[in-house]
Amino acid sequence: MGDTRRGLQLKFAMPSDPRYLPVVRGAVGPLAAAIGWDEAECRAIVLALDEALANVIRHAYHSRADGLIELECRESADGLEITLLDNGDAPDRSKICAREIGCDQPGGLGTHIIKRVMDKVSYEESPEGNRFVASKLLRKTS
Amino acid sequence: MKISVRDVGDAKVVKVEGDVDLGTSKLLRRTLFETLPRAAKVALNLEAIRYIDSSGIATLIEVLQDSRRLNKEFVLFGLSPAVEDVFRLTHVIRIFQVFQTEQEALGTA
Repeated sequence: MGDTRRGLQLKFAMPSDPRYLPVVRGAVGPLAAAIGWDEAECRAIVLALDEALANVIRHAYHSRADGLIELECRESADGLEITLLDNGDAPDRSKICAREIGCDQPGGLGTHIIKRVMDKVSYEESPEGNRFVASKLLRKTS
Repeated sequence: MKISVRDVGDAKVVKVEGDVDLGTSKLLRRTLFETLPRAAKVALNLEAIRYIDSSGIATLIEVLQDSRRLNKEFVLFGLSPAVEDVFRLTHVIRIFQVFQTEQEALGTA
């Protein structure tokens, strides 16, 4: 038997235009808070999602604003799952987390942030496009 | 995002308010690159930043590198919780000179 708990699900069909990033951030922060994360964790989750969207805009669509990004944020039984789907260029896996963390080079910080904040991260190419999936578990302290 | 620049002696104090993200970091970059050659020291006030992403942090690293090339000082002060979070996650805080207040950043405390 699978997970039968019904949680909140947010879906966006977003143009690959950075102008819309604050809209997504404004929705996902309260979702993370409703699931049970504290303020600092909510900020980190919003940042990780924003970095994933920025990577799609910059690398899949090469900063063109007319691409489509489908975003789904789903409350699961044990936390949050985020899925992004785009039809741009596939990510170059050799460049993901290629830079050294903490060094004084400006590029490549976003993928490190995603990896540090989320518990599981995957990049897949599917018939529908490039799929990014990231999940984070809510660790209950009581 | 709102940016203001004011003169304090030989230094310029740049204040950023609001969100620094992929859409707005270009303006911050342009402002800081234009300001840097015009002062001995540039102090960046980060207390009113509500959100900053890796493109904003990358901008600060680029400006720091340019300040070394131009033999200028580039310092940060008043880190908001949003800025502290990203610095902590990216481990880049150690490369910057960071102060609590404007007076400390300008050496007038």
